[in-house]
Amino acid sequence: MDATCTNDLALEELLLGMPAPAQQDHVERCAACQARLAEMRALGDHFRQYVLPATAEAVLDAAARPRAWSLARWLAPLPALAAAAAVILAVGPAGPPADYVGEKGSATMGLTVFLQEAGLARAASDGEAVPAAARVRFKVRPAHPCHLWVLSVDGTGLVSRLFPAAGEGGRAVEQTTVLPGGAALDDQAGPERFLAVCAPEPVEYARVEGAVRAATTGGPGAVRALGAVPGLPAGTLQSSVLLEKRR
Amino acid sequence: MTDSRERAAAHYRQYGPVVYRRCLRILKDPEAAKDATQEVFVKLVRDMAKLEDRATVLPWIYRVATNYCLNHLRNASRRGEDAELPDLELSDQAPADLLPTRAIAGQLLEQFDATTRTVAVGVLVDGMEHEEVAALLGISRRTVARKLERFLEAARAFLERT
Repeated sequence: MDATCTNDLALEELLLGMPAPAQQDHVERCAACQARLAEMRALGDHFRQYVLPATAEAVLDAAARPRAWSLARWLAPLPALAAAAAVILAVGPAGPPADYVGEKGSATMGLTVFLQEAGLARAASDGEAVPAAARVRFKVRPAHPCHLWVLSVDGTGLVSRLFPAAGEGGRAVEQTTVLPGGAALDDQAGPERFLAVCAPEPVEYARVEGAVRAATTGGPGAVRALGAVPGLPAGTLQSSVLLEKRR
Repeated sequence: MTDSRERAAAHYRQYGPVVYRRCLRILKDPEAAKDATQEVFVKLVRDMAKLEDRATVLPWIYRVATNYCLNHLRNASRRGEDAELPDLELSDQAPADLLPTRAIAGQLLEQFDATTRTVAVGVLVDGMEHEEVAALLGISRRTVARKLERFLEAARAFLERT
């Protein structure tokens, strides 16, 4: 091969059937490029014969693997979280659309669930059907400083702690806040309600979890119908958004 | 088979050879290339939308595979698994004063950041034009030139010492 020869990336384009005309012309006239192309084809055959059968299962499992709520996502390095929050603020809608009903509960507490789709974030509507493995992020708008918990409950009654991932008492928030990190849904069909609970004083997670669990013992119907969660400290702000996970 | 598995299977059949060839080119070891191909594709299928964007998929795959394999080499070298990095074959576009020492690129690569390593491999090993590497990495041609120059300066300094 000489300096004018087509590089491997360009040859890959040719093998995939999307070459630039100039590259194709060169390869047709160049013995060295044709030899390399033949070598690459042979390696492709080797891949299909030996590599693919030995590795496909792991790859396909990774593609289909349900993504459980990951605490690690909430514990990612702060710069990454700040960047993610900035992305949400940058690409999220400036205001709710006319049919937006993504907030429920107390009039003094707002919760927005953002769906990440194709690199963009958009606010989900309450009750919206979404892919069961969708990735979500959250923004809260408390009317006054309080101690925040964000959690979810699904149709089986499983309560998941989402934010903060560690510590007790809830995270002190004072104003509109895009929560760092995010999470992926668990790829199981059914309702999932996200709740933001913000108490005037620090409150143990176990108490919040217990209250949510007690309010949703009736299965999917109870999750869908859930209004304000009883049994929380007086003055607790609440908001929730329901998503219907579809596979 | 679920939809996600079907889509992943189709992509793996189509683009798996690209990853395998790229990994073999860098790692020079069929077994290591096989394992790397699996690991790279496990990463790729997590972003199915990118895999389905025909306009950008190939540079993206190439970049992910290159970074993975270079990191693999660096980590193996640090663990002492391989006394030397593979003898990367420099392209004919590499500066003439580097050609006599084909292993020089490999020995130097681990001293640089991921972007510089990809630039160096792209230009010196793959024989890519600066514009092509810039497009591959999503950086400017000027940045490619600057990073390559830094790499070459280090390579020449290394040659003078040895």
